[in-house]
Amino acid sequence: MSGVAQVQAAFRAAFHGIRSSPVTSIVAIATIGLCLLLVGAFVLLVNNMEQLLDGFGEDIRVSAYLEAGLAPEEQADLAARVETAPGVEAVALVTSAQALERFRAAQGERAALLDGLDENPLPASLEIALVPDQRNQEGLAVLREALDGLPGISELGYGAEWIEGYEQAVGLIRGVGISIGGVLGLATLLIVANTIRLSIYTRRDEIEIVQLVGGSPAFVSAPFLIEGLAQGIAGGGAALALLYGFYRVMLPGLRDGLELLLGYADPIFLSAGGAGWLVVAGAALGFLGSGVALLQDGARR
Amino acid sequence: MPGAARPVVSAGALVRLFHVSKSYLAGSWALRDVSLELEKGEFVFLTGPSGAGKTTLMRLIFAAEQPSEGQILVLGRNVSRVRPAAVAPLRRRIGVVFQDFKLLSRRTVEENVGVALDVVGVSERDKRARVFAMLKRVGLQHRRYHHPLSLSGGEQQRLAIARALVNDPEILLADEPTGNLDPELTLEIMDLIADAASRGTAVFVATHDYSLVERYGRRIVRLEDGEIVQDAPVRGAIR
Ligand SMILES: Nc1ncnc2c1ncn2[C@@H]1O[C@H](COP(=O)(O)OP(=O)(O)O)[C@@H](O)[C@H]1O
Ligand SMILES: [Mg+2]
Repeated sequence: MSGVAQVQAAFRAAFHGIRSSPVTSIVAIATIGLCLLLVGAFVLLVNNMEQLLDGFGEDIRVSAYLEAGLAPEEQADLAARVETAPGVEAVALVTSAQALERFRAAQGERAALLDGLDENPLPASLEIALVPDQRNQEGLAVLREALDGLPGISELGYGAEWIEGYEQAVGLIRGVGISIGGVLGLATLLIVANTIRLSIYTRRDEIEIVQLVGGSPAFVSAPFLIEGLAQGIAGGGAALALLYGFYRVMLPGLRDGLELLLGYADPIFLSAGGAGWLVVAGAALGFLGSGVALLQDGARR
Repeated sequence: MPGAARPVVSAGALVRLFHVSKSYLAGSWALRDVSLELEKGEFVFLTGPSGAGKTTLMRLIFAAEQPSEGQILVLGRNVSRVRPAAVAPLRRRIGVVFQDFKLLSRRTVEENVGVALDVVGVSERDKRARVFAMLKRVGLQHRRYHHPLSLSGGEQQRLAIARALVNDPEILLADEPTGNLDPELTLEIMDLIADAASRGTAVFVATHDYSLVERYGRRIVRLEDGEIVQDAPVRGAIR
């Protein structure tokens, strides 16, 4: 019962505090908002790049080109052996003649170029599909090792060699995002701590009076923690709104420029959980900023 | 001297100072070897010239300062060794009034009194009732939605007294409570303080206005250069 009244009083004091120093509050909200906007933009970019990777992962197909001059039985035998390699889901034999057929179908008129040749230049190949959870760089490496030195196979082709580089790029951007987020988060924490210190300073008379009538350290601190929390939630919410605005309004116009990074996949926004975390991160920054300020100024009584 | 005849330890004492000294700067003493007791329901004046140590003595009692030497017991607690967390509960049992009022200028009259109940955790309903009753006692009920700066000096000090008394403190400390007020207002304020004493609160008033001592006092403690030079009943006091 008494706790409820004290909590109400703390909220009232926090409200008075925010109303009496709106500029300080706006600085804190803007700082937190800007920090989380940048972090959120990185998360959005990495999410979309990962989505692209997931989509292309399903398309990973390995072609094992066979040496010329193998008899059909030898080819079938090789296909059976490859099928037992780890991570392999299915193997299909594409004969030299079938490869030529496909090439003609795919190239249309330009395939007339081939008519001048006496011999079919296309090798027979084994088309290897990996089990779904092996459709990535590690899966390819395992397969490469298993097929290494198998007589009759001349070369392995992946069809999507760029994926390795893209995965590295995603990793790099994620790493840069985490580093920037860490540095930015720390800087924001200190800026917020300083704005709250300012608001502690402007309200020192009020604090003195509350202490005089017997306000406990927790009672004196609570309004500032609530104030920091509210500013953090507002900053996180603002960042989320701006990010969504960017996603809806600006991104469509920038798509040609971003094609290189994101392909033409439909861009996705943060998940509900991701959006929630952004606001929670804001709340944590505001709350901890207040806490740091109170620790710095808390020695007096 | 009657003062010398007082027992060193008495059962009802709310405040006891044993050989207390306070030095802010090395080599100079704001208080020196002060021993003093304040009984339940007593009305005591603390006098002495400016700089004698009156404010320092009051601040020691409500644990805003620590003594350099000696022991201070307030409401059974040794405040010379009290943990910071134990200061707040102690202060809820001590009302304090200052010459400069120390009011929350951004809050209403009602909220200024209410803050003393907020820290204790009194519910909103009880708070409204108790604040209203207290404001009525000091004659400010019609001003409860005003802000302190729109009040006269006498009204502001009445408000400060209302805040100090709303928790029914066992001790009321008033440091030159009428120092900023005209003579008529001074009597109005002192009447309120005397009323608290008659209700059983131990009242300790610092002043250099000797006429007040003659009019209201029962006991006078005089400080000079940080030392007690007189502790005696007031002759010719009313009541
Ligand atoms: N915070 C302080 N720092 C240094 N000296 C102080 C402080 N407070 C009071 N003093 C000194 O202590 C002595 C007593 O002051 P004070 O208790 O305010 O006397 P009074 O209230 O009787 O005028 C004075 O010499 C004053 O200068
Ligand atoms: Mg003084």
